[in-house]
Amino acid sequence: MVGIGFRREFAEELIAGELIRPDFIEFAPENWMHIGGHWKKLLHQAVEKYPVLCHGLSLSIGSPEPLDQEFLRHVKSFLDEYQIQLYSEHISYSKCDNAHMYDLLPVPFRMDAVRHISSRIQQVQDFMERPLVMEIVSYYTPVAAEMSEVDFICEIVRQSGCQLLLDVNNVYVNAFNHQYDAKEFISQLPLDKVGYIHMAGHEKVLPDLIIDTHGEAIIDPVYDLFEWTIQRLKPVPVLLERDLNIPQLPALQGELNRLKSICNKHWSISHALVGGNI
Amino acid sequence: MHLSAETYNIQQAFSRYCLTGKNRRITGVQPDRLSWYREMVFNILTEALEAAFPIAYANLPQRKWDSMTQDFCSHHACKSYQLWKMPLEFYTYAVEHSWDEKYDIPYLNDLLSFEWAELELYNMEDLPTPAFVPQGNWLHDVILLNPEYRLLAFKYPVQKETTRRKLLQQVGAWFVLLYRIPVTGQVQFVELSPWLAFVAEQLYAGITLSDILEYAPQLNITVTDTLASDTITFLREMQTRQLVLGFQP
Repeated sequence: MVGIGFRREFAEELIAGELIRPDFIEFAPENWMHIGGHWKKLLHQAVEKYPVLCHGLSLSIGSPEPLDQEFLRHVKSFLDEYQIQLYSEHISYSKCDNAHMYDLLPVPFRMDAVRHISSRIQQVQDFMERPLVMEIVSYYTPVAAEMSEVDFICEIVRQSGCQLLLDVNNVYVNAFNHQYDAKEFISQLPLDKVGYIHMAGHEKVLPDLIIDTHGEAIIDPVYDLFEWTIQRLKPVPVLLERDLNIPQLPALQGELNRLKSICNKHWSISHALVGGNI
Repeated sequence: MHLSAETYNIQQAFSRYCLTGKNRRITGVQPDRLSWYREMVFNILTEALEAAFPIAYANLPQRKWDSMTQDFCSHHACKSYQLWKMPLEFYTYAVEHSWDEKYDIPYLNDLLSFEWAELELYNMEDLPTPAFVPQGNWLHDVILLNPEYRLLAFKYPVQKETTRRKLLQQVGAWFVLLYRIPVTGQVQFVELSPWLAFVAEQLYAGITLSDILEYAPQLNITVTDTLASDTITFLREMQTRQLVLGFQP
């Protein structure tokens, strides 16, 4: 199944399903909780038309301060209301000193951070009564690292029991920015724990720096990495993220088609009897 | 908590830099790359504020607006986990820090209040609509109004003027009622006289128009022969514009 992020810019077209027709949609609970009026109506129409996955923004699993219990209650209630089974978030932090920054900051790759995050993931999973699927985020500088990124990720998965959201574009971006081999990185991940894939475009802003903008089309090397990756995975939902510079919708549908064609090529053969995750 | 004090301090320094742009030296971080985070965090906050307060952003002097956003981002800890609600904190911060005086923009609080009310009404959760019948006695029945509304009082007519000179010339008592159209979800507003603002407030409290009219002399309202009929004419008009729903059954 190949889905797309549900965005207000093309919400009505998604509901109409003529110019673009994904297999499922994904949205951030934070953008839709406690909303009424026009957007609530559209949200209901979208949920009636498509299966939905949720991808959170404000959990801030890597924050030093305690988890926001009120926030968790609201998210759980929202997920229950819309019967959403897959809830994913980011291995990062977006809040510190009780100040939200609304962006994903990199957590130091350190063992104490592993223990801190793993413990919090378990708390959230227990409270939500759902597995958490945690995304490997793009980052532009390491922060006082004491271990490798891949060891950091693997240890969090091992200690917390969470699933992984493998954002293939993020791995490509990180590999470029930090000069490592993307395939080698992916090979070292616990690929049996991957429950969800994200794909997106990015922007090269300096000769040695790519920013993960979600504002461009996916480039061929990222498609290639995606194709290489999915041959090593069981079938999972794949999401196209497009947040900025929204193109004509047939262009987005073209990207969905290309992703689906790659999935069908590899997953329909080797996993004919394996059902999807939604 | 499993985090060491050192890791905690590093995360704290990183996030503080993102919010303030100050103290760029952080252990184990590439300074040139760090500045991208500052830019991204600051852009998210300022773009959300520009979208929430388009009239203020378009009409206030740029250097004042930039100073305000810089001050807010650097010194205020945003509490809302929903980005769309963050502009309320900006408005509150402006009031608490007397920005109207500091930046010599006497109408600033009114303007931010007006723009926030519009955004809040547009997004807010649906409120139950009371049962009503479309026809009744305007004087003696309980008139039911659209429950999704904000009644605001301003010193400056920010609902209709944007230039400083015109706003300052018209200092006075202005009343605006914003409400959300049930079917479309669009927000409308209507400018009210002090009397009609009082009427609206009392109608929302469930008082009948005849009882409100009796109170008019105590408000120094001149009770003319046409006050009741003019008020009813206004309410009829508001029924066509979906502010007045109808009458309590």
